[in-house]
Amino acid sequence: MKVAVCVKHAVDEAELKVDSSGSPLLAGAASKMSTFDKNAVEEALRLKSAHSGEVSIITVGTVEAKKSMKEALAMGADRGVLVVADPLTVETRRTAELLAAAIRKGGPYDAVLCSEGSSDIYSGSVPPMLGELLGLPYFGYARKVEVNGQTARVERALEDSVEVVEAPVPFIASVVSEINEPRYPTLIQIMQAGKKPMEELAPDAILPGSGPAPTLVASMKAQTMARKKVVFEGTPEESARKLVEALAAEGVLPR
Amino acid sequence: MTVKVWAFSEAPSSANEAAAAARGIAESAGGTFTVVGVDDGLGLAGDDKLILRSAAKLATSPEAAAEALARAVKEGGPDIVLVGATRNGKEIASRLAVKTGMHCVSDVFGLALTDGKLHGRRNVFAGKLLAEVVAPVPCVAIIKVGSYSALQPSAAPGTTRDVGEVSTKTRVVEQVEKKRGTVDLKGAKLIVSAGRGVKKKEDLALVNDLAAELGGAVGCSRPLSSDMGWLPEEHHIGLTGISVHPDLYLAVGISGQLQHVAGIKDSKVIASINSDKSAPIFEASDYGVVGDLYAVVPAVMKELKARRH
Repeated sequence: MKVAVCVKHAVDEAELKVDSSGSPLLAGAASKMSTFDKNAVEEALRLKSAHSGEVSIITVGTVEAKKSMKEALAMGADRGVLVVADPLTVETRRTAELLAAAIRKGGPYDAVLCSEGSSDIYSGSVPPMLGELLGLPYFGYARKVEVNGQTARVERALEDSVEVVEAPVPFIASVVSEINEPRYPTLIQIMQAGKKPMEELAPDAILPGSGPAPTLVASMKAQTMARKKVVFEGTPEESARKLVEALAAEGVLPR
Repeated sequence: MTVKVWAFSEAPSSANEAAAAARGIAESAGGTFTVVGVDDGLGLAGDDKLILRSAAKLATSPEAAAEALARAVKEGGPDIVLVGATRNGKEIASRLAVKTGMHCVSDVFGLALTDGKLHGRRNVFAGKLLAEVVAPVPCVAIIKVGSYSALQPSAAPGTTRDVGEVSTKTRVVEQVEKKRGTVDLKGAKLIVSAGRGVKKKEDLALVNDLAAELGGAVGCSRPLSSDMGWLPEEHHIGLTGISVHPDLYLAVGISGQLQHVAGIKDSKVIASINSDKSAPIFEASDYGVVGDLYAVVPAVMKELKARRH
């Protein structure tokens, strides 16, 4: 099985700092593979070990994104493709178009996996856009993926129900984080990852004549949580009494 | 220009939330809004309704619903299509953007049409930042769940449009309804939530009892549902789970990672119990108790019981 995984290299939301005016300090900020993408990589590796084959990692990102690529290669993926563009400033649809073009160029793949959304922006639009752009069967929010011969069988986790859905291979799926537990690469795997093939593609080369991509994000500012932050530290009994009194005064306890 | 806004969802309650946003834009910018639903079209709000029908059921196939909506959009020519952010709704809206070439913004709220562009806000970086988004019209905007109060269903019969045959590449072979708790988290006024501070599955009884005493629903942070499997996934509150907006959110043994806090931001009052004084949950709380939940929760129970008598 030939599997492609779309991953995103993202600024680490937990480490992100803002300046005194509340503007994010994105340049030089700590970055990582988008949290949930590891589940997509893991699922691809499981498909590979069940059916043999190859796993390709495809990223739209700046050269910084090679870090995430290497991490996925260390987990066990075989090759990487980097489309050089900044997904933070490019409209979501363009990111999807670039990924689709890279998938067409490197394919055909039997499966394309994504996570349900990126840990930085979390729009969740790229995976269904890929399904639409590539004209392949698409399963959103997969919590289980099985391939039997030429049929994919997927459990989709929806708000109020779980759907079992089938389609012929090739297919595209976005996976939810409860689908698996991502593996940690060994030190040897981390060292070997640098030797695996990594290709860089220019957007113009795979999507000729597409022109500059619009950005729809006008600005980003820190939001402060307007919370009272009253802390009670005492014996459990004292604190419990103060907490219940405070909540009663707020009028949020049942009468 | 007279702006034409459509509010769509495959789920009527979600369509009616989008309808509230559509009405706001239409009223302030001068224009009309239409509430668009699928299949039987029951439960929709608004005076102007458009109900899309096909031989196949559209509500359960986002691929088919997107194609049906795209056909209607090409004919009806709305400037703005607002889509409720259910899981299937996100797929429908994203597909629609590709099919029609419309711009697409996701998880937005606070929408207004200014200078011919749709302006809105959205949470990014797990809610740490607030982004201003501006989309040129025509555009698709996916409306953040719970960011607008749904309009009430109306008796208007609406117009039904048969969109013709729509083919799908996937086939639903089975649909299993998830087991529902006694209280729906999304609409709950009071939620008691458990986190990693709860050491054993049996100890969830503490949290369950406290929720019962308060007449509230039980939620949890991601580790308890996804990693431990102590509670079903539909109890998971946070970025990848459910977003809630109760009057009181009481976090028990939850450290308060950004992804969890992202799902509770809209709570009226947040209270927390955690043994670690430096836990980030206290930064996100109105009231915090530093202490061992195994001692504090029973003490709170006692206080609540005493208060009742």
